[in-house]
Amino acid sequence: MKPISKWIHVLGITGLVLLFVGSWIGLFVAPSERFMGDVQRIMYVHVPTAWNAMLGYTFAFAFAVASLWTSRPKWDSAVTATIEVSLLLNALLLVQGSIWARATWGVWWDWDVRLTTSLIMLLLFAGVLAMRSFVQDPDRKATWTAVAAIVAYIDVPMVYFCVRWWRSLHQVQSTPETVSSSMILPLRMNAFALLFLGIWMVVYRARLETLRRRQDQVAEPARLASVGGMEDV
Amino acid sequence: MTIPRQLVTIVRKDLLLEWRGRSRILSVVLFGVVTLLLFSFAVGPDSVMLRAAGGGFLVLALLLSSILSLSESFRVEQEQRAIEGLLLLPIDPVALYYGKTISNTLFLSLLAPILSPIALVLYSFEIGPTEFLSLIGLWVLSAAGLSAPGTLYAAMTSRLQSQDVLLPLLYFPLVTPVLMGAVKSVSLILNGDPMSQLGSWAALLTGFAVIYWSLCGLLFVNVIEEGS
Amino acid sequence: MENIPESNTPAIAASGLGKRFGRHWALAHCDLEVPSGETLLIAGPNGSGKSTFLRLCAGLLKPNRGDIRVFGMDSQSERLEGRRLLTLVGHDSYLYNQLTALETLRVWANLSGSGLERSDLESLLEEVELREWSNTLVVGFSAGMKKRLTLLRTKIEQPRLVMLDEPFSALDPAGQELVEQWIRGFQQDGKTVVIASHNLPKAAPLCHRAIYLKKGQIRWSGSPSEVVSGRGGRP
Repeated sequence: MKPISKWIHVLGITGLVLLFVGSWIGLFVAPSERFMGDVQRIMYVHVPTAWNAMLGYTFAFAFAVASLWTSRPKWDSAVTATIEVSLLLNALLLVQGSIWARATWGVWWDWDVRLTTSLIMLLLFAGVLAMRSFVQDPDRKATWTAVAAIVAYIDVPMVYFCVRWWRSLHQVQSTPETVSSSMILPLRMNAFALLFLGIWMVVYRARLETLRRRQDQVAEPARLASVGGMEDV
Repeated sequence: MTIPRQLVTIVRKDLLLEWRGRSRILSVVLFGVVTLLLFSFAVGPDSVMLRAAGGGFLVLALLLSSILSLSESFRVEQEQRAIEGLLLLPIDPVALYYGKTISNTLFLSLLAPILSPIALVLYSFEIGPTEFLSLIGLWVLSAAGLSAPGTLYAAMTSRLQSQDVLLPLLYFPLVTPVLMGAVKSVSLILNGDPMSQLGSWAALLTGFAVIYWSLCGLLFVNVIEEGS
Repeated sequence: MENIPESNTPAIAASGLGKRFGRHWALAHCDLEVPSGETLLIAGPNGSGKSTFLRLCAGLLKPNRGDIRVFGMDSQSERLEGRRLLTLVGHDSYLYNQLTALETLRVWANLSGSGLERSDLESLLEEVELREWSNTLVVGFSAGMKKRLTLLRTKIEQPRLVMLDEPFSALDPAGQELVEQWIRGFQQDGKTVVIASHNLPKAAPLCHRAIYLKKGQIRWSGSPSEVVSGRGGRP
């Protein structure tokens, strides 16, 4: 098996550096937001986390389609790894969102559209991974994971819209949509940082999954010679 | 034999099996009633709160009951590997999926006319016959939305030991749009709809049902074949 | 025993076939061709891969190695077409407890597009001596009665290839006699029959050829009488 390309390590280290620099700029250099003050700085990790979580799930969907189409194990490793990393980002998203809600609205949870959708998304994809642990046969595990991932992904936009409609009957908290140019730099840096780190983690996790699967496999036994008489069998 | 005819045979077979096992229908209904009571006890005897939440409780009771009927619909297929016998005839997996989804929808729809009057009485709702019919109609639409992914996942999890945990875990988060749509619609019917929002919620339920009936029908063959 | 009729496409053609369940290879290096019209006996101890082979033919399992074709049709990519030509009666009865015998046959007849009417189905039940239980729920049937009912699938589906996994098990001598008659009938109709069985004294005289499976591989192929004498009649 080929060793993981050194460019992945480069990507990972670049991501780490970018995250450090981007967060430093976001915390200390970028100007305070006019209405929310320093609390708003959480946006510099929150928004990139959200982007990358959704991007990750989108790739998981694409890998799942490939897995069903080709039945090749490498796509199953890719689906599993991508879902796991995206779940991590999703969980972080919920924590960050909760902190932001506490700081701006005084409550740990508000039935905000994005927060509620994120929670349902987490449960959807966590369910896909949970199902894997109950299936032994690797081919069936791969097929069912792909099916469940596709079904879960298609659900996300519907969840988003219906939560939004559901919430529209209640008072909607607004969040700043426009971002000034001085804030865009740390936002983009962190977005790429998380993307690079995400890719780095996915590659390693997929490799781990492939190695585990190979370890569970047993090579086809040697062909036994046919015998002349029945008494020899 | 064509797919539509195979589909009809499957639906008739399932309805016959449901009829033969009708004592089970009674158990599912009783389970729904117990659920309604439990929710009510959680809120307390405050009739104003109960009326506000009553629509939601009814939909939740129906949703929880749906898990029982979905898992049962494939238990009868696995008992003596009857489903394998069907696949070998051969039956087109598409006919099998839509046949089972239709019979699951019909069975789930049956729960509404039984549980709704009970909820109406418990929570002191008074609605006219047109509202009652809208209620039933909305539930049938919701049942269609629930049955599509429910049949797919019930087929998957019926082969596993842990079906009682895994099916709700996979199914409940997925059907939150149906849950929200149904709760909103039912509440609007029971408590009034001054801004005429019922139409949009009904459209959401329809959209969900259409998308999942198509998607799950496509994916079903992957779940039911290859030794699954 | 009839002469094997000429035909171009073999009923079954397995090439390098292998199937793994977890870490265990249930079947490996399986190369087998069953000409159309032949009656083949598959013998072997428990766990030797007999049932796995039959299920692979029917497309119920996906091969991990090699491929298998039924009348030239790939068991996976042409699954439905292949299944139209074959019937598999395996260990499971494929029955619904809450349907009667007649209702069961009607479902099978409708789904396989056989065009059989109620009277035809009643005649079939008569043939397996289940006529008086036509309207009895299957849940009340004994194992032997369930077996007879399931075996009727071979009559309903009108296949070109009949695969029987332990056809004599659970049956009383009269039932076993009936199965023997049916197999001879299939042969006269030019059907291909594959029998996996431990009951060698019963199965061997019906077959043209036998193969012996052990640990998932074909170890021996030859005349059915040798299987019986070689093992002293024991599996």
